[in-house]
Amino acid sequence: MPKHIARLIVLLVGFVVVGLLAKSFFTDESFYRYGHYRADSVAEIAAQELEFQTPRYCRECHSERVAQWSANNHKTVSCEVCHGAARGHPKKGKLPLPADAEVVKLCTLCHEAMPGRPLTQPQIQVASHNPYTSSGTQCTVCHNPHSPKLAGVVAAVTGSIDEGRKHAPSCAGCHGADGISPNDAWPNLAGQNAAYLVRILAAYKSGAEKDVMMSPVAQALSDSEIQDLATYYASLSCKGAPSAPGAGDAVSGKNLAARNCASCHGETGIGTNPAWPTIAGQKAGYLVNMLKAFRAGLRKDPMMAGVTRGLSDADIANLAAYYAAQSCESIPEARTKP
Amino acid sequence: MKPDKKTSFAARRAFLRKLGLAAGTSAAAGAGALGVMQAVAAKSAPASSAKSSPIPDYDWTKHQWAFGVDATKCIGCLRCVEACKVENNVSRDPHHYRTWVERYVYLEGEDRPRIDSQHDPVNIAASGSEGKYRFANRYQDAKVEKAFFVPKLCNQCTHPPCVQVCPTGATYKTVDGVVLIDHKYCIGCQYCVQACPYGARFFNYKEHVTDKCTWCYHRITKGLQPACVEVCPVGARIFGDLKEKQSPISQFIRNNRTRILKPETGNAPNVFYVGLDKDVL
Repeated sequence: MPKHIARLIVLLVGFVVVGLLAKSFFTDESFYRYGHYRADSVAEIAAQELEFQTPRYCRECHSERVAQWSANNHKTVSCEVCHGAARGHPKKGKLPLPADAEVVKLCTLCHEAMPGRPLTQPQIQVASHNPYTSSGTQCTVCHNPHSPKLAGVVAAVTGSIDEGRKHAPSCAGCHGADGISPNDAWPNLAGQNAAYLVRILAAYKSGAEKDVMMSPVAQALSDSEIQDLATYYASLSCKGAPSAPGAGDAVSGKNLAARNCASCHGETGIGTNPAWPTIAGQKAGYLVNMLKAFRAGLRKDPMMAGVTRGLSDADIANLAAYYAAQSCESIPEARTKP
Repeated sequence: MKPDKKTSFAARRAFLRKLGLAAGTSAAAGAGALGVMQAVAAKSAPASSAKSSPIPDYDWTKHQWAFGVDATKCIGCLRCVEACKVENNVSRDPHHYRTWVERYVYLEGEDRPRIDSQHDPVNIAASGSEGKYRFANRYQDAKVEKAFFVPKLCNQCTHPPCVQVCPTGATYKTVDGVVLIDHKYCIGCQYCVQACPYGARFFNYKEHVTDKCTWCYHRITKGLQPACVEVCPVGARIFGDLKEKQSPISQFIRNNRTRILKPETGNAPNVFYVGLDKDVL
């Protein structure tokens, strides 16, 4: 063999040996274990930390809220969609609730009417959705995000006034012969919305709402008697002896009312939806008790629970004083469904 | 659409593979370093599935993951896009994403749909801030004949072209059916970005590596759902194990007539769609 060929072969073999040595030296130990890749990288990727923790994690502390959420229409919207990824919570502090200015933006991500959204998706025309445009309030004033459906469905009232008058004496003991209560802690019924009276009596009857006095009374009533009573009391004049204004400050109550209550109950306590009660001229003591009951969850209304959550005892007294001082007779501008 | 159905593509692949094998063997026989070659070949052959799983407390031979998208349910809220970025620490700028949602709008008198996604300038303007995503209501006053949203993500193909072109073994298909990227071995050549027919891969300029959806491999190996599935408020995204007959994805495929994207490529994607129009590719 010529010398230069032999040299070339030695050189080539040298290259191959160096190459193979380098490969075995530089190739990761786990490479080729399962295929042409580094097996250790699988475990490295799988070890990435979780940002989203799932509702199961939230339930450990917020069980009550999770129970409410999981029983209502937003149950398919996981906690972390609105509250953000829960990693590090609660150690690193509170999860930010959407700021007031952000709430409308957040809700309309899913609920703004838009071509392409399936018709089954509840959608609103943001520009004309009544309470929002009329008062500039946030969605969460009327809709509890954990239970977004409003209790605003108006029950049909077909009772008779005369029949109602016959049953009224059993109510008169507490609510007064003409529907004006003699006691600051019991509500006036005269002039109240019939649809609201039907709804609340039906709730006491079914046990959805509980009250030591009202539950047994309502359970004794038939559905048609409830209709008759509601029609009768709605027909009475609400103008009775003006109720005591209560201990609160009506002026600061007015500001609170505009922010918290007016979009449903009206600025002066006469609302737009007959399924919701008129609260103008109502007994201050009764209003205070009810607001506290909503806040404590003793009365079950998701919307009222949301509204009252941020109210202090002083706020409640001020609100009650303000609404108790309003005239129940003014006629609302329009009774339209929101 | 089962991958085991022998299409003409699969047949052609099998033939080429045999041809290549024959050529390779003869070349190897001719070469002097035959023994060395065999040793290397034996090493690089995929290990039998009997070998243990690389992840502790998780047997990857017992799962075969798959994904479903019900486009008839999608409302285009883009919560999936935002959640994915948070979960996987993806750059918040709207042009880099592991998953995205396309909107198809057919206007009266036009024969082609108008298509946009979260990175369209109008939609960026509507979102208002970096890292927030929303579809602008740009067609509310137009005469819309038909419109719908289509969520998209990596198809985790059974025959992934991105894996085929990777020169370093940085991207690979796991036994349980997910295509992953080893960021330590990725040299940032972006061949795979070019190879993917779905545009599912993007380049991470900060770390100089390629990136893409992993179906949240760190979550699914712990028995959780991928982040996008977790946050979808309408159940448009479905995920599960094909080896389990009652899993959400098995039921989804069984109960619906599904289709896959670009079947003509022969990649055999593992994202199954319901409710797509002919213009969706």
